[in-house]
Amino acid sequence: MISNVSFAGGAMTPFNRRKDGSSFRDWARAAVQGALDDAGLEARDIDALIVASESDFFTMQLNPAALLADECGLIGVAAKRVEGGGASGHLAVHAGVAEVASGMACRVLVLGVEPSASHLKGADVGALYGLSFDAWTDGMTGIDSTSLYALSAQAFMARTGATLDDFARIAVRNRAHARMNANAHLPLDVSLDEVAASPVVASPYRRLDCSPLSDGAAAIILANASDLPARAQGRARFRAAVSAVDAVRLGERQDAGFFGGKQRAAQRAYEIAGVTAAEIGLAEVYDSYSGAQLQSLEALGFADVIAAERDGAFTAQGAMPVNLSGGLLGQGAPVGATGVAQVLTAALQLEGRYFGQQATHAPRYALVDTHGGIATLNAISILEAP
Amino acid sequence: MKYQMTLDYTIPFGDLQPYFDALRDGQALASKCDSCGIVAFPARTNCASCRDASMQWTPLTGTAHVLFRTDANGGSYALVKFDGADTTSTVALKNPENNTTIGTLVAPIGDAPGLWLTLIDTENEEHDGH
Repeated sequence: MISNVSFAGGAMTPFNRRKDGSSFRDWARAAVQGALDDAGLEARDIDALIVASESDFFTMQLNPAALLADECGLIGVAAKRVEGGGASGHLAVHAGVAEVASGMACRVLVLGVEPSASHLKGADVGALYGLSFDAWTDGMTGIDSTSLYALSAQAFMARTGATLDDFARIAVRNRAHARMNANAHLPLDVSLDEVAASPVVASPYRRLDCSPLSDGAAAIILANASDLPARAQGRARFRAAVSAVDAVRLGERQDAGFFGGKQRAAQRAYEIAGVTAAEIGLAEVYDSYSGAQLQSLEALGFADVIAAERDGAFTAQGAMPVNLSGGLLGQGAPVGATGVAQVLTAALQLEGRYFGQQATHAPRYALVDTHGGIATLNAISILEAP
Repeated sequence: MKYQMTLDYTIPFGDLQPYFDALRDGQALASKCDSCGIVAFPARTNCASCRDASMQWTPLTGTAHVLFRTDANGGSYALVKFDGADTTSTVALKNPENNTTIGTLVAPIGDAPGLWLTLIDTENEEHDGH
């Protein structure tokens, strides 16, 4: 079990498609200053910066960690960049946890940032995302992210009996949660019928089943509680930080609809944290597509997820609320920032400080789940309430 | 500001070059594990099942059965099982207007060495065969 790594504070910018002329450097500075303020720290108190950014093709900036350290006034800190596709932000958090737990650093600032929406045309971003899988096979075939997820979702539906109504319910609910979140990209009031009537992107997925391309930044500070000022005492603590990979090619998995790498990561996380899935009281789950939320919940070990979804177990009032932030579907997905914001949400929920939809029943443990590829590189964290 | 950059890659395929050479000709060349016998298509340089790195090339007929397909804005794709392979493959469908579930590998369309499948009319195939 990890016992000495605390969430000290954090902040995020709104996730949306920027049209105001601001740059990713501006968003990074805002998120970092917000995190420092929340923790009661100054820039000089930080001794390590870990930056998450998925692709230099988005930022047009190689070596972004050094650039952003300079931009944020973090002169002389240790700095590195972490990348793992969609899981980049969460893996950067894991790197920060490791640095604090090992004593390599006292106070680590994890910064996720991505201009996924405003720098490139959507088709160009789609073409880049197509290289997130095996670029020599899937990439050269031209198959895009949504199509791969659609094939996986069909395999999941065939095995479990999940329906498009189940998927649509998630698309509606996560957007409803986003309406409580001032930072959300898609705070939409949509109906099941509107999901079903939205344009097909890759059957069975329709536009409202898909998460958006977003711009934004999020930052959190990790530290041993003994290295924090009074303002940052009594905050959420990390209990496990685990990642695991699955076969890169969908066709080489025993079941194309099952997220086996995620299952391995989750099982290890539960073991390290000393908790069971049944003890998790809240989760932020990687819902890049509506069906992927159910696929993820299955792999995370939650019992009978189809029935639980239909019974309302994953609502704010349920036994295990999921994606009260709105998830990727509602809050948005600036890739490098996504996992950092998920961890921020979980920590604030555990502390009772969350700014959006709160869980009816205060959770003791929260799980954060992020992945790159099609659940190819999976990152799981378990946090405990103070 | 507006900024445009054109990148012109040259990508060697290393030990997988024979697979891509065959693909360019519309031939399915799989890898077979010397240790456990698993046949992988697309080919691999090590076995996904037992992790042995000793592989042999083995040609397939190129015929495949569609397990799942998706019709997208930019094209139609499928998860298919090639006859003789133990793994499944994701392919682009050359003639998605055909709703049959059997196809054959064809040479890639365009410069990229992707996997393309032409769906075949199975009723005619069976009729012709009898």
